[in-house]
Amino acid sequence: METEVKEKIVSIEKPHLEAPADWQPVIMGILCNWCSYAGSDLTGTSRLQYPPNIRIIRVPCSSRVDPWFIIKSLQASADGVLISGCHPGDCHYISGNYYARRRFLVTKKLLNFVGFHENRVQFSWVSAAEGPKFAKVVSKVTEDIKKLGPLHLYKKENI
Amino acid sequence: MNLTTYSTDPAGLQSFYEAIISAHDTYAPVEKFGKYDFIKVDALSSCNPDSPIPKTMSVKPLFFPKSARVMKYKATSEGTELSDTEGDPLAGKRVVLGVKHCDARGLQVLDAVYKWDYVDTDYEKRRENTILISTRCNEASTHCFCTSLDYDVEKLDAFDVAVINGLDGKIYLQARTEKGEFFLKENANGLTVANGSAQEEMKQQFEKFAGSFRLKMDYSEINEKMKGRFDSAVFEDIPANCVSCNTCAFVCPTCHCFKISDEKLKDEGVRYKSYDSCNNVYFTLMAGGHNPRPVKYRRWRQRAMHKFVYYKERFDMNLCVGCGKCTISCPVNISIFEVVNRVASSMQE
Amino acid sequence: MDYTKQIQDIAGRLFSENKIDVFIGYRNTGFDENQVPVLINQYKDVDQLLFTDKSVFNLANYLKYEHTRNKRVGLVVKGCDSRALNLMLTEKQVKRENLYVVGIACKGVVDETGEMAQNCIECVMPDAVIFDEMLGTPSGRREYQENADVRELDGKTLTERQEYFEEVFESCIRCNACRHSCPLCYCAKCCIDQETATLFQGANTTSSAFHALMTWSLHLAGRCVDCRNCEKACPSHLPLHLLHKQNEKVIYGNFQEHLAGMIEEDRGAFYKYSLSDPDDFIM
Repeated sequence: METEVKEKIVSIEKPHLEAPADWQPVIMGILCNWCSYAGSDLTGTSRLQYPPNIRIIRVPCSSRVDPWFIIKSLQASADGVLISGCHPGDCHYISGNYYARRRFLVTKKLLNFVGFHENRVQFSWVSAAEGPKFAKVVSKVTEDIKKLGPLHLYKKENI
Repeated sequence: MNLTTYSTDPAGLQSFYEAIISAHDTYAPVEKFGKYDFIKVDALSSCNPDSPIPKTMSVKPLFFPKSARVMKYKATSEGTELSDTEGDPLAGKRVVLGVKHCDARGLQVLDAVYKWDYVDTDYEKRRENTILISTRCNEASTHCFCTSLDYDVEKLDAFDVAVINGLDGKIYLQARTEKGEFFLKENANGLTVANGSAQEEMKQQFEKFAGSFRLKMDYSEINEKMKGRFDSAVFEDIPANCVSCNTCAFVCPTCHCFKISDEKLKDEGVRYKSYDSCNNVYFTLMAGGHNPRPVKYRRWRQRAMHKFVYYKERFDMNLCVGCGKCTISCPVNISIFEVVNRVASSMQE
Repeated sequence: MDYTKQIQDIAGRLFSENKIDVFIGYRNTGFDENQVPVLINQYKDVDQLLFTDKSVFNLANYLKYEHTRNKRVGLVVKGCDSRALNLMLTEKQVKRENLYVVGIACKGVVDETGEMAQNCIECVMPDAVIFDEMLGTPSGRREYQENADVRELDGKTLTERQEYFEEVFESCIRCNACRHSCPLCYCAKCCIDQETATLFQGANTTSSAFHALMTWSLHLAGRCVDCRNCEKACPSHLPLHLLHKQNEKVIYGNFQEHLAGMIEEDRGAFYKYSLSDPDDFIM
């Protein structure tokens, strides 16, 4: 029982202002050109539904993602970040996603260390043929972020 | 106007501070990560008005914050609309406890430039609404050299209320400005008007304080000497171990250079004014790529000459109050005192 | 630990044999016990040099300035400094043939309070890993241990960590002294300074400090050698080592116990990969 309670406390971010009733999360999606972006295309052409909260940016490879892309997204207006690339071994540039994988782990852990919930930043491997998987991933991330509520940490001052 | 001196004892001073904190918006040195910052306090127990000099940051951020909004703009189909920013957190009426003498004089130096040809209204408002109450400076720290720079604690009107140690554990609270006089009158519960020996005791205290300085020099002479040292080879030699960080300017109570940056979202934005430093490589970088001060020693020369020559010529005061904060904060302890001394005493080529 | 005599001898010898143009060492401040780095250009100044347990600053930092560029340089390195130097060599920032490295078998330096500094207690490699001449008896590599402060913070709840770091980022004045005093931050133009392109905010707000410090620490992840120059330079005394040690902990634990700059020609942890790297956090 006690550990259960503690786990609960550990995983809760500081309570923020009450979210408005019609609040919808903004999720920054950074997708690799060769797999995930094509995968998201396939989701669309297959007429699969997924939440419209994601804002997609296309990058040549998941290893193009410098950690500060993630930090800047969180600092600007995103409530969460999803980064997606090719499956290990499938990288168009042979090994880009292996390098990216290392960076992502360290970035995720560091963000968690300074006080972001681990679900704020998520990663996935989605190939060009995995339309249904992309829809599932986006739904899951949106669901997670909705549970966490709006992000108020280190936001740029409202203009 | 007659300025009054009140006398009290340590316990009385504590209750005086407590009364101020409960009645006014009060800022005082609060320990944060091993150094003291001036921040808003709710209770005397959380702050230390007599914080040690070398560990206390300057009071400058309360008047010239590290980042402040200047204006807002919005582009519309008719043109660009400009508007003032509201809600300056530092503009309200407030009291600052534990201001170091050097810091307060730093504000006078800032006044000269911020109330010069263009009056910075935000700064002026912050200054007008603030009552400065000094700390008790008893002993100079290693890097202090304020007494070398036209400093006289007896005439000091940089703060509104001076807190000075007397003999036998007595403490004197002396109004130094009209604002301070009114303020003390309003808050004088528990204080008694000092008797005739107060002036004498304070003078003795000051002499003791002035005797505790490690660094001393005569700056009237230095200003004259520095004028001819622009091409001095010593400038190239001294800052060799400078790492070009901007710390000295950021912690300096008198440095006032700032940069302007816009934070924009689509068609609207806010303009910010933030600290900048002449030690920064990009400080003088111009559009097109020319940089008149690309190397370290030229930036150092600018810093030293501005502090002791140009500012003196323009405003008749040094852009340095001798607090030693730059030396303490410097990763490699470069002392402006040492630099200026060496430049001034170098031979004219 | 006092190598003053030996270092003066070596510097004197190098100058008289005309092997170097500059020697980087430590000298006394002249008024207290602390030491500051000094760049010596001629033989007659070598008696300023000294080395004791107060020789704290990482001298590899000076290899990135114009005073030493394209010159033959002699310098003193402790264990951590030599690891930074190793990385600078690997990343082609300095030429090995231009350097004469005096390595120290370090016994630990002291912090402001006069006790052994935390990074020296947890040091993995006290002896210089790259040197032309070694002073003292090497004590060898030590066991890696997790940073005590990181462990303490890790034990706290997310909310507590969040509050703690909010205060840290709020106290940052963005003077960039941390970056300037880091030997591995040698970029001709740092991405954090790209304010005109609005990559980073120009305003010194808490938000921009968060952005800048996090980016800075992640660019140093897998390369930071824990010399703590940044922390000593910080005028706000921020616990910057927390960010670096957290990254180091993750990297050491997950990527084949990688530690930056331990061996020659070894680039940072982010410049290589293994097929067996952890993948379980990715959907």
